[in-house]
Amino acid sequence: MTATNLHFTKIFLAEDDADDRMFFEDALKQLSLPTQLVVAKDGCELMYELETAASAPPPQVIFLDLNMPKKNGFECLKEIRQDPRLKSIPVVIFSTAGSTDAVEETYKEGANYYICKPRSFSLLVKALETVLTTELWPSSQPPKEKFLLAIS
Amino acid sequence: MREKLIAAYKQIAAQEADRAHRAGELLLANEELIFQNKEKDCRAAELLVAKDALLFENLEKESREQELIIANQELAFQNADNEKRAAQLHSAYKQLEAFNYITSHDLQEPLRKLQMFTSRMLLDDEQELSIKNQVYLTRINEAALHMQSLIIDLRTYSVASAHTGEHKNTDVMEIIHTVLREFATSIKETDAEIIVKGTGKACVIAFQFQQLIQQLVENAFKFVRAGVIPKISITCCMLQHVDTPIVLPLKKEYCHIRIADNGIGFDPLYKDQIFDIFKRLNEREEFAGTGVGLAIAKKIIENHQGVITATGEVNNGATFDIYIPVDSGTSDC
Repeated sequence: MTATNLHFTKIFLAEDDADDRMFFEDALKQLSLPTQLVVAKDGCELMYELETAASAPPPQVIFLDLNMPKKNGFECLKEIRQDPRLKSIPVVIFSTAGSTDAVEETYKEGANYYICKPRSFSLLVKALETVLTTELWPSSQPPKEKFLLAIS
Repeated sequence: MREKLIAAYKQIAAQEADRAHRAGELLLANEELIFQNKEKDCRAAELLVAKDALLFENLEKESREQELIIANQELAFQNADNEKRAAQLHSAYKQLEAFNYITSHDLQEPLRKLQMFTSRMLLDDEQELSIKNQVYLTRINEAALHMQSLIIDLRTYSVASAHTGEHKNTDVMEIIHTVLREFATSIKETDAEIIVKGTGKACVIAFQFQQLIQQLVENAFKFVRAGVIPKISITCCMLQHVDTPIVLPLKKEYCHIRIADNGIGFDPLYKDQIFDIFKRLNEREEFAGTGVGLAIAKKIIENHQGVITATGEVNNGATFDIYIPVDSGTSDC
């Protein structure tokens, strides 16, 4: 698989689950993008990594799990959108739960896309490919009906 | 002398007449007095009666007061009881919400990983998997998928139990047509014959009612006989609670919907069990499903204080009759 239309040089992943981090890294490897992946194991780690990376030039993208210890995804999203240095970084919610409430809230808080974690590895690869290589961007929020990305 | 005597006599006679007159007057006065006395006695008796009446009224008032105090206490107790019940309900609702979150999130996590790992093993080109092991992995995946639908259905069932939503006067036919539009593909693919007749209005929670019709139509499409073109009829009418052989709990007007198919039907022995959660009457290999669908349907009907019955025969179609009170009395309609 080769990437076309590449937009990102640095990808942040906030994910507390070790298996899910492994899946993500492996799926990203399959896409062979010239991209650096920064992994955080919880919300606090993510905010720390973002702090140190804030001075680096965009484009960057954050994959954000919602259910995490210490600081959850909702809290991170809020902080990111309130920080003038971070607020323009695209945020993709990456969660098991696709409940209407979670989708509503993260849209309201300014996330760019919402992906329900896929149930097969090939779908995960496809999900990352969709986000990282297709023309979903620039980072302004899409209309609500396009917020929840269907991967099939 | 004689004259003097005459004069004296006259005088005496006059005095006599005067006396008689006075005596008459006295008699009258006496009678008057007697009358007045009687009157007085009578008044006194009346006063006594009035006094008794007052006394009685006072007693009555006191006992009423006592009753009021007791009633007030009773009310206060009932209020406290109601508040306690409300608190209990609230906590049960919170627990249900927590359960819903767990089912939608926590229970899905390990399942999703199971599917991820098996899909990776099947995709892995580097390792040659034996055919047997490939089959095993596929089976694991299928089991996980089934578990996933069980969890999703259980959640739907539990959300239906929470009974949230606003009752609104709704055109039932409109909902039926909306549901049928969703089945457009199935109708086209199976060449099904769909008959919709009648009219009906009821006070319902619209999204739940739609879910109910969806469930029943889905059932009709699922349990078809091999080689037989599905025929589904949906009829709707309004009726009074007495106009039906079924005992309806409310003395009100009901909206009756009948959904009948020509599918595999079922043994009438199971006409009640068919609505039990996780109850399946058929082999899963033949007919997919979790056995929650009709339990959800029944739960929704209960939320609307309605009645649902199933009738059928093996290989001779199933019929579901729904009775929903037009106004259940508890709603805002």
